[in-house]
Amino acid sequence: MTILRAQGVTKRYGGLLALSEVDVAIEENEFVALIGPNGAGKSTLLNVLTGLTPPTAGTIELGGRSITKASTHARIRAGLGRTFQHGRLFDRLSVLENVMVGAANRPGRSEAQLESAARTSLERMGLGHLAPSRISSLSYGNRRMVELTRALAGEPRILLLDEPAAGLNSGEVEDLMTRLRAIRSEHRLAVVLIEHNMGMVMRLAERIVVLNFGRKIAEGTPAAVQADPAVLEAYLGAGSSYAAD
Amino acid sequence: MADLIQLLTNGLALGSVYALAAIGFVIVYSATGVVNFAAGQFVMLGTFAGVAMLLNAGLPMPVGYAAALIAMALFGALFYLVVYLPLRTSPVVTVIIGTVAIGITLQNAALLTFGSWPFRLPSPFEGMMIEVAGAVVSVHALAVVATTAVMIFLLWLLLHRTAIGIAMRAVAQDVKAARLMGLRVQWLLAFSWILGAVLAGVAGLMLGPMWFADVNMGDPIALKAFAATVIGGFGSLPGAIAGGLFVGLAEVLGASYISSAYKDLIAFGIMILFLLVRPQGIFGEPIQDRG
Amino acid sequence: MALRVLALAAYLAIGLALSVSVSEYTLRLLNLATISAVAVIGLNFAFGYAGLISLGHAAFMGLGAYILAILTTQAGWSPWLATLPAILGTGLAAVVIGVPLLRLKGHYLALATLGLNVSFGIVAANWIELTGGTNGIAKIPGLSLFGHAIEGERPFLWLSLAVVAVLAVLASFIQRSRYGRAMMAVRDDETAASMTGINVTATKVSAFALSAIYAAIAGCLFATHVHFISPDDFNFAHSITFLSMLIVGGEGTIAGAIIGAALLTFLPEWLRVLGESYLAFFGLMMLAILIFMPTGIVGLLSRFRRSAKREAPPAPASSGEGART
Repeated sequence: MTILRAQGVTKRYGGLLALSEVDVAIEENEFVALIGPNGAGKSTLLNVLTGLTPPTAGTIELGGRSITKASTHARIRAGLGRTFQHGRLFDRLSVLENVMVGAANRPGRSEAQLESAARTSLERMGLGHLAPSRISSLSYGNRRMVELTRALAGEPRILLLDEPAAGLNSGEVEDLMTRLRAIRSEHRLAVVLIEHNMGMVMRLAERIVVLNFGRKIAEGTPAAVQADPAVLEAYLGAGSSYAAD
Repeated sequence: MADLIQLLTNGLALGSVYALAAIGFVIVYSATGVVNFAAGQFVMLGTFAGVAMLLNAGLPMPVGYAAALIAMALFGALFYLVVYLPLRTSPVVTVIIGTVAIGITLQNAALLTFGSWPFRLPSPFEGMMIEVAGAVVSVHALAVVATTAVMIFLLWLLLHRTAIGIAMRAVAQDVKAARLMGLRVQWLLAFSWILGAVLAGVAGLMLGPMWFADVNMGDPIALKAFAATVIGGFGSLPGAIAGGLFVGLAEVLGASYISSAYKDLIAFGIMILFLLVRPQGIFGEPIQDRG
Repeated sequence: MALRVLALAAYLAIGLALSVSVSEYTLRLLNLATISAVAVIGLNFAFGYAGLISLGHAAFMGLGAYILAILTTQAGWSPWLATLPAILGTGLAAVVIGVPLLRLKGHYLALATLGLNVSFGIVAANWIELTGGTNGIAKIPGLSLFGHAIEGERPFLWLSLAVVAVLAVLASFIQRSRYGRAMMAVRDDETAASMTGINVTATKVSAFALSAIYAAIAGCLFATHVHFISPDDFNFAHSITFLSMLIVGGEGTIAGAIIGAALLTFLPEWLRVLGESYLAFFGLMMLAILIFMPTGIVGLLSRFRRSAKREAPPAPASSGEGART
């Protein structure tokens, strides 16, 4: 069953076409990577999907219901989850409280239930010992893991990750990949991953969507996308540093 | 008709004073980012600098005016050192409260020095009236409008035709880039405070003969200057002029044609309306001509 | 938790001890301080938690006071009964005003709320049939409890101390609930807050309305304490004073709100020994406090507490540098 469907999504900023008639469908429990060179429109697409940016044209459905006009918080409550490129946490709240904020979007939980849900989420991510810490005391890697935990605590049906590995060292990237695999086996949720780290994309993704200049230029299994001449020309050719490592 | 001409003249004169006060406020804001809640006290000090030089020291008029403005320039420099520098990295609220606090000090220092009894600051055109299209208007009011026009022209020359003015505009647009270009940013920021204080001083010297010189006059002027700034567009110099004239005219015409009790409600009502509907004010893009 | 119970006990002990030991004049000041504390604890919701710079808080206090004064003196209501419409009406007004106004941020919101406060003063001073204009409303009846009139400074202080205690405990519960966390999340990062399912607009409006409700309670206390109100009691200078109290005490903390209210009520009185220039010195002292104690008294205390902890043997490596508590 399709959990998230975007059809004909177009975003125009003045004369600039950031997204042009993009169609994306994400199946339940699927792991999709969204790739493309810088400026391809990946983050814009995420912003349109989460309601931060209204699309110029197109429709978005979540679980079969239109959310094209819904506010961001309503989309989150309907099952969307997202992390940001640079890890945006609430500095005045502790780690535990940050995760409790995420857990609170499921209705009808008491304060005690919120706290235990948040603690469980932190334990699962191996961050239990950080619960009372202040955000300012966290390492960059831990900040990003706490943000991921906060998004998971909201029990999303589909999680959008905006370059979760950016700025992490190789050990942290390995750890992140292990966590992401574990999350999928434990939570039954779909993941959309924006990532420049091709090694990570090829190892995790079941399907890859390629954007270039705001258009979807390819879509398919990692092997098929890697062999697609359009991708090689437009994307890998544009910056060989992105080639699989 | 004669009434209307008289009202328009008085409204434009009052509006000119508000405009100058608002310009002083905007120059400081766009250069330093400080929302100066003591801006009204600056104008009050300008009036009392006039009182001190013309009445207390008995200086002749041109000398007295010059001395008062020099005193205001020194005050601007002092304010830069004592208030701006220590608070320059503080959050907006702290700056607001800090400038209010120093405003309380200024007001009470003036009270201690000059007492609570209002003064009558003389005008060079004391008691002079002329007839314009059948209406009798005061020469002082016309002189205020003319002086303001000259001040705005001089300010425009300063900002567009002199090295220091062009550097100030660069700082207002991007402090970091200005620093990279080798501009001495701290001196330019200090100069903005001095310029702001001098403009407030001119406003105060012109306002003195229109109102009574009263140590409590600062707050009402500050509120009008804020309204003018918001209506015109925060950070925009043409906006401050348009907003100031608008608030002055609204006050004088509103008092006469609508209700003298509610005359101030017009300015604040319109200010709030602007904030809700068009928070960027009349002059929407305050990027190009910030002081 | 233990610290909060201790703070509450200390507050009540100090308040009661003062109430039986100080002069009538000091009692009056203490009453003004506790009434301000109610307003400032309220302002802490809007500014301390949700980050909304309001320079119109005194107008909400005034609205509550005027509703109570008009209902008691002109419609003959009992003061207790009149507090209900005073509080609810003010809260409702804050919602109606907040929905359009709270889209503004920073100094724009500060100036808009300032304009609101000035407008409130103009209306209160000129709607003479209802408000008595600048002459104000006199002979507002006092409160009574179990048939005993709460008259005189000392009994009123007991009442107001109790009101502050109850409202502080309530505020503390709200702070530690999902609603309090949502307010702080919105202040820290609106976009990230909406991305955790928080309705940003609703959160801001509730924080604003809650702060107005506390202000209205302060207004009711003020009206029944002084028995007389006029527009000057609620002008924008008072709004700035409330914000100063919160910042000097320590924004974002309930203890800070109470300490700031008490300190800024008494500081000018203590400075009176300086003679006529005391207000000029008061301004300078405020500036010095803002420069040298940017996080307020509570911020300073908690920094001491944290650095003391750090010097203790099992220094936790993760104890942060963040100044707010």
